[in-house]
Amino acid sequence: MPEFTLTAAPPLAGYDRDFGAVTLKAPEHLAIVSIALPLGGEDAAKKAIKAAFGVNLPEVGRSDVAKDKSAALMRLSSDQAFALFPCETPDAERQIAAKLDGAAYTTDQSDVWCALEISGTGARAALERICMIDLHPDAFALNAIARTVMEHLGVIIARTGDNTYLLLSASSSAQSFLHALETSIENTQ
Amino acid sequence: MSQTNRIAKGLIDTSRTVDFTFNGRAMQGHAGDTLASALLANGQLLVGRSFKYHRPRGIFTAGSEEPNALVHLRDGARQEPNTRATVAELYDGLTATSQNHRGSLEHDLMAVTDLMSPFLSAGFYYKTFMWPRAFWEKLYEPAIRASAGLGRLSMEDDPDTYDKGYLHCDLLVIGAGPAGLSAALAGGRSGARVILADEDFRMGGRLNAETLAVDDMPGSAWTEAALAELRAMPNVRLMTRTTIYGAYDHGVYGALERVTDHLPDPGVKPRQVLWRIYSRRAVLAAGATERPIAFGNNDRPGIMLAGAVRTYVNRYGVTPGQTMAVFTNNDDGWRTAADLAAKGVDVRAIVDTRDRAAVCDVPGARHIRGAAVMDTVGRKALKSITLTDGQVIPCDALAVSGGWNPTVHLTCHQRGKPEWNEAIDAFVPGAHLPAGMVVAGAANGQLTLAAALDEGRKAANAQLKDLGFTPSRKPGPKAEDEPREGAPVWYVPESRKRAWLDLQNDVTVKDIKQAHRENFRSVEHMKRYTTLGMATDQGKTSNIPALAIMAKCTGKSIPETGTTIFRPPYTPVPIGALAGRARGRDFRPYRLTPSHEWAKANGATFVEVGNWLRAQWFVRPGEKGWRDSVDREALQTRQTVGICDVTTLGKIEIQGRDAAAFLNKVYANGFAKLPVGRIRYGIMLREDGICYDDGTTARMGENHFVMTTTTANAVLVFRRMEFARQCLWPDMDVHLISTTDGWAQFAVAGPKSRDLLRKVVDKEHDISNDAFPFMACGEVTVCGGTPARLFRISFSGELAFEVAVPARYGNDMMRVLMEAGREFDAVPYGTEALGVMRIEKGHAAGNELDGRTTAHNLGLGRMVSAAKDCIGKTLSQRPELQRDDAVKLVGFRPVDRSRNLIAGSHFISQGRDAVMANDEGWMSSVAWSPSLGHSIGLGFIRSGDARMGEVVRAVSPVHDTEMQVEITSPHFIDPQGERLRA
Amino acid sequence: MLINHPLLGPRDAAEFTYLGDACLIERPDPDAKDAAERFLEYGYLRDNVAGEMRELWYHEQGDRSWLVVTRDTLTHEITRVEIARDVARERGRST
Repeated sequence: MPEFTLTAAPPLAGYDRDFGAVTLKAPEHLAIVSIALPLGGEDAAKKAIKAAFGVNLPEVGRSDVAKDKSAALMRLSSDQAFALFPCETPDAERQIAAKLDGAAYTTDQSDVWCALEISGTGARAALERICMIDLHPDAFALNAIARTVMEHLGVIIARTGDNTYLLLSASSSAQSFLHALETSIENTQ
Repeated sequence: MSQTNRIAKGLIDTSRTVDFTFNGRAMQGHAGDTLASALLANGQLLVGRSFKYHRPRGIFTAGSEEPNALVHLRDGARQEPNTRATVAELYDGLTATSQNHRGSLEHDLMAVTDLMSPFLSAGFYYKTFMWPRAFWEKLYEPAIRASAGLGRLSMEDDPDTYDKGYLHCDLLVIGAGPAGLSAALAGGRSGARVILADEDFRMGGRLNAETLAVDDMPGSAWTEAALAELRAMPNVRLMTRTTIYGAYDHGVYGALERVTDHLPDPGVKPRQVLWRIYSRRAVLAAGATERPIAFGNNDRPGIMLAGAVRTYVNRYGVTPGQTMAVFTNNDDGWRTAADLAAKGVDVRAIVDTRDRAAVCDVPGARHIRGAAVMDTVGRKALKSITLTDGQVIPCDALAVSGGWNPTVHLTCHQRGKPEWNEAIDAFVPGAHLPAGMVVAGAANGQLTLAAALDEGRKAANAQLKDLGFTPSRKPGPKAEDEPREGAPVWYVPESRKRAWLDLQNDVTVKDIKQAHRENFRSVEHMKRYTTLGMATDQGKTSNIPALAIMAKCTGKSIPETGTTIFRPPYTPVPIGALAGRARGRDFRPYRLTPSHEWAKANGATFVEVGNWLRAQWFVRPGEKGWRDSVDREALQTRQTVGICDVTTLGKIEIQGRDAAAFLNKVYANGFAKLPVGRIRYGIMLREDGICYDDGTTARMGENHFVMTTTTANAVLVFRRMEFARQCLWPDMDVHLISTTDGWAQFAVAGPKSRDLLRKVVDKEHDISNDAFPFMACGEVTVCGGTPARLFRISFSGELAFEVAVPARYGNDMMRVLMEAGREFDAVPYGTEALGVMRIEKGHAAGNELDGRTTAHNLGLGRMVSAAKDCIGKTLSQRPELQRDDAVKLVGFRPVDRSRNLIAGSHFISQGRDAVMANDEGWMSSVAWSPSLGHSIGLGFIRSGDARMGEVVRAVSPVHDTEMQVEITSPHFIDPQGERLRA
Repeated sequence: MLINHPLLGPRDAAEFTYLGDACLIERPDPDAKDAAERFLEYGYLRDNVAGEMRELWYHEQGDRSWLVVTRDTLTHEITRVEIARDVARERGRST
């Protein structure tokens, strides 16, 4: 037995608040692994991704769900994507690396980001106060993603439902981003 | 006082009475009133004093162009100066007070300035207060400031909150008058996403102010129907109380929405929201602004623009006077007379500058042709007007119409210049409009109702077609064109008394003529010389008449004379709205280190480092000042072991087949041959050869490096490396991703650091000096299997490691490290002790890498590899940067060890004067070294490495001190580096 | 301002940082005989055009791509946006 053990305490662990027309919560155990496509090895990497997740690598600005629903893929730029999946242990990167078998470069991003899910009929109105991206369903359809800035903080926003958005922001500033979102919701309720 | 001037129901809700006070007097109005309409209803025509001469002034307009009726609204901390009574919505309990007078409004002690007006002409201040110069600050300026100005600030913190937001639309319609409503209907019906914004709290514009019919309905009723249709459309957003104040690049507009200004209790919601609206196309339907005619004493309370009178009569059911006169140069003024008469108001006379037949029949009114008003009587309220033919007509209010100016402001915000249209004697939008904008209705010179409705629809449809929408086939609204002929008259030359142009800045016709005489003839000069148009109303009613008068003086046409460029904002935007949420603690976001909670619970004082909050030191009981804590932390670390959260250092993962080759390009020193499992210190140069960052990079695998950057430069280094990878060497297989926030990283430093870590790092990992020597790195596990990274690097100069765990474990890792270190008396240390120890060790930091120093200056010249190219290499080799007598980084200590060195001191050789010409360098970092027991410093001095032991003067003119300092090695502690290799 | 990103569509300029003249892509050959002189020009003697200019913008709060934006510095009109990596390759840059 080791002399010491470590307890995980992600920044917004357990946060879940109902504001009426909006619910805001921090999903638990969301692992994020970045996948970079090697220059010249894009086709092989895409093939490996297809084999691993059962779906094609989405276009830039889009996300897709693995065939067996075990993970989601977000394409952030021409040579970079994120795989998101539930995972409690700190070995997410190894799991994805094993699946891709060297066809792409992987990095663990689980602790880099802090996720918040905003949902409800008032979600879009609240986000209007901090998000420059057009979130109208015609402009930001289901499975659309964008990397942008809100209240000086880099944020990845994904539309995961009719009135549901997943927001990833840096874990070190998670409290500030939460404050920005809570203020937006309160200001628009 | 009762509502003596309330003559009809208008469009207000007379069933709801609203109580308010003006200068402490209780008054009543109705829901739907503005403060101005309610004041007029109560017969309160005198509402303020003018800026310069303290002349009694009344309400001049019925909209946001108001130059006169500025009041303090609300009281206490919420008191807002310079609020235009004409746009302030009446609410229950509203309090307003008049501005710019000493003593009461009726008996302003400063009114004496009006008698001094012959001395206070244009340019008075420029000419008078020129000398003696010493009087400026002490006498002139305080005196001028005390007597000038408009409202007063509450001098309390603004209790309200403000917000910002972002909106997107296909079609933005600016203004909800006839053209705007018509455009919005067309947009909405086509299915496009439409935003219709209007500054008023009631949409409809002039439709609510006139008695004209649309589709055989009263204009206001048609407006209600149109709004009902628009409200039912999910693709249309109606924004009342929203001013589009600026037109920016690429279809972006700035808008200010006044959310709670009309509420008795503003509550906790943001008072105003500053919107950025992204529009694909826009229809500007901002309407037109009526212009006055200048004549003697034309500024008296009771003199009002004729269109404003119609607004008060028709929309608010209020007449400004009981016996009225109208002075006009166009047909439009006649409608004021007709509307007044229709409501039973006694209209005494219609004075038309044109010698022509009556435009319409106005019962009881005399029509005086080819005449003009040249003077008026009545100090605090109008009593009579005097015509050019000498006759005096008693009246208590006068409606003046000089024609209409299209509201072209937003067309100018992208440097568009308005063009003169002779048909309507006014400026209309020029050909160069902000991208995506078209103009419709009165703003485009279509000054009649039918034309405005028609153009609004057509303009919108043209825009929609461009965007790929199919315009609705539904017919547009129908109306009749009202008569609108006119002949321009800008001022009445027979006037012998002062004729006012800019009512807010007290500029008269005479001032314009004087500006002309003194050769301030260009519009921009005229403006600045006379201050015309430079008040809070930006000359909305005065600029064009003044321009016309200058044109007359110079003998040029108005278009030849020019026009001023309008800039944002259209109407004033409160600073609070521009700041939005960025106030106080919310000025910017904070980044917290993973062990923040632990630090907070253990006596940490925090310091802002960029956005980060870092522990600066940890106070223990009995410590009297920060130095006690810092000295203890540094000493204890050097004695046994100390722990510091260093997560804030930038971490960039570099992966790819060409990762090593890429590092060779971005670092001055070589990385290609760094073995896996080893770390190297590297320096980065700008392309001009100056050092800009340093740090260590660990080779975790053949194609995988982990780079650390300084905390401050993490973003910049990443940006520059992306530039190198994408723009300079685009075919390298390199991938960058930041993991700064992903790993909680702790420095474990001191002779007992290995012993401590052995208790935490799982046993299967050998961290002995042989297996894990200085500059080793590797993946390990800690506390029974938690993945971690271990680096053997040292910033303190001691035997030291940095251990990184996934950030979620960071706070607990701090606890574990401290518990494991208890037997060694481990201490947590903050950024101050970190700084002390790095100065003791002679490591350069931000103070040394200050954007001016080269590797040569830093004593790292040999790190710039001769064997390869790198960013900055070529220019770093410039002879001037390689001089032998260049400044070099060395250490300093005071000859008198009891003295404290001062950072920023400059070095002067013995016997030389302390002047710039003799400056030989500067002290960049100082600290009190608890290990040495005296002050130490790092600094740059000419040929420093060749001057060990020399004593020089360290002069600080800022502190007015100097001391003798000795040049030493920068490595005050363990110069051979034995400790860190132990 | 809006920059019409070739992959992402129009995005607010607030997401970008600005560098300057796109000629910064054309880093001189360090092995050329006159390398010192050419680096001086590269570093210090860039044009600052009143009119159409090709500029480097970095989508820092976005996909991290460097772009070459053809923009009129007088009117802010943007007529062309290219991925800088493609431009660099066209200019013969490689590894």
